[in-house]
Amino acid sequence: MKVTELTKQYDGKTVVDSVSFEIPKGKVLSLIGPNGAGKSTVMGIISRLIARDAGLVDFEGQDISRWKSKELSKRLAILTQSNQIQMKLTVRELVAFGRFPYSGGRITAEDEAIIDQAITYMELDEMQDRFIDELSGGQRQRAMIAMVIAQDTEFVLLDEPTNNLDIYHATNMMKIVRRLCDELGKTVILVLHEINYAAFYSDYICAFADGKIAKFGTVKEVMTRQTLSQIYKVDFEIMEIEGKPLSIYY
Amino acid sequence: MRTAAHRANARKLILMAALVLLAAAAYLLVEVNPKYFSYAMSLRIPKLIVMLIAAFSIGGASIVFQSIINNTIVTPCLLGMNSLYTLIHTAVVFVAGSGSILAANANVSFAVDLVIMGVAATLIYGYLFQKTNHNVLYVLLIGTVLTSFFGSIQSTLTRVMDPNEYDTLLTTLVASFSNVNSEIILFSLAVLAVLIFALRRDLALLDVLTLGKAQATNLGVDYDRSIRRLLLGVTLAIAVATAMVGPISFMGLIIANLSRQLLKTYRHSQLILGSVFFGMIILVAGQLIVEHVYSYAIPISVFITVGGGIYFLYLLLTKRRV
Repeated sequence: MKVTELTKQYDGKTVVDSVSFEIPKGKVLSLIGPNGAGKSTVMGIISRLIARDAGLVDFEGQDISRWKSKELSKRLAILTQSNQIQMKLTVRELVAFGRFPYSGGRITAEDEAIIDQAITYMELDEMQDRFIDELSGGQRQRAMIAMVIAQDTEFVLLDEPTNNLDIYHATNMMKIVRRLCDELGKTVILVLHEINYAAFYSDYICAFADGKIAKFGTVKEVMTRQTLSQIYKVDFEIMEIEGKPLSIYY
Repeated sequence: MRTAAHRANARKLILMAALVLLAAAAYLLVEVNPKYFSYAMSLRIPKLIVMLIAAFSIGGASIVFQSIINNTIVTPCLLGMNSLYTLIHTAVVFVAGSGSILAANANVSFAVDLVIMGVAATLIYGYLFQKTNHNVLYVLLIGTVLTSFFGSIQSTLTRVMDPNEYDTLLTTLVASFSNVNSEIILFSLAVLAVLIFALRRDLALLDVLTLGKAQATNLGVDYDRSIRRLLLGVTLAIAVATAMVGPISFMGLIIANLSRQLLKTYRHSQLILGSVFFGMIILVAGQLIVEHVYSYAIPISVFITVGGGIYFLYLLLTKRRV
């Protein structure tokens, strides 16, 4: 997946300004940056939820707008922050929606097996018949991820998956992200606010500032005192824990 | 997936279908004088069919509408079709007089209603959808504004109207099942059949659409297109029901929520059936009571409005998250 010269304006204000980068396959890529830097908008554009003003999003040799939505949904899964589901829906029924691109409303025996796997993988077996609106935030997030797993796509896009979760659930979420990549071989792209989660669990980081890419590279390349201070305009210290750079800001 | 809950709901729906049949049979047969059996049937059967069609379009449209808006305490009344209907009728009587063919002939009056409401709905809502970038909430807001707009014009007209004319007008402004004939029934059935056929793909997507725009898009569904088509379908279905029996779509709130409460599912195939059956039971049993207990003294819409109002309050007070 390759992004070229992406531009987006809202009411004459440029929020994404000719952004170009290539997404490395089979890795975890985090998009970070201060509020309003354009990272969520870029995410929205590459997941076809937001229309762009200019630029190309090349996915497997074809621009994303030329893909049939149905075909794309077998290759690329999206999870956004707003998941207010008003319906009476059980965990299992939600996960079963992940099979919609393949079999429409009719679930086959093969789909059932995949749904079972996804539920077991996310350790949701005991609560698979509970209603979504009766779950805690962390459990609901896990159910959503199980749906994404059932969707069985090569690419997974997560928009601030740790938002509204406490430290325990947020850390678990990041471990799941790592497993999606390492065990299931998926390419994961996520928008994150917590720099240290990005540093500890990603392979690559793309840092945004003022609608432009401030720095794109491996975690070690981006997590430097100078780069982070420039992007966030506060003082940073970089420490190393388990061979990974972590930042302290104050 | 055929889960236990799914089967339990299927049983509930079969039970409701049986109740509908029971109510229909009671409506046809209660206090029939065997001597005039065929005459009684020629009066009662068309009325029964009209009630069933009205319940079908209102029940279906209400569930679809709530799912599109993602809110279970809205009714398609908000789209302004009811007040457009009252405005059309008032304007016709005001301009042409209650004796004119436009007002007196049921067929012509039905055709006028349907054409005006259909064209207005298609133009207004089709245009608004593009103008507001497919924002359903704006469309809803404008629908509410239009409701009071139509209502104001209507009340202005009635103020300057001949009181005798107003008296005749008033009877057409409350929902009623009298004065129907078979041409209207056939025509409504045809409109509804075309509507369902045209929207069959979008209706099948309803379960996915309720997950919200992001998730529906993720699953490969063209959300905006389906929502626009379904909203238009809802408006037309309500227009058919209103043109046939008068302003009654408030009932949609009751039956849609009863169906959601009873079935506790997300499957729209079941929710819509449940809502339609509830509508049929309420209308047919209600009309039975109106005719035989109150001897037509109170129109059925009074029961529906009073009952619906109380149920609406109950919904507001018991729902924590709206």
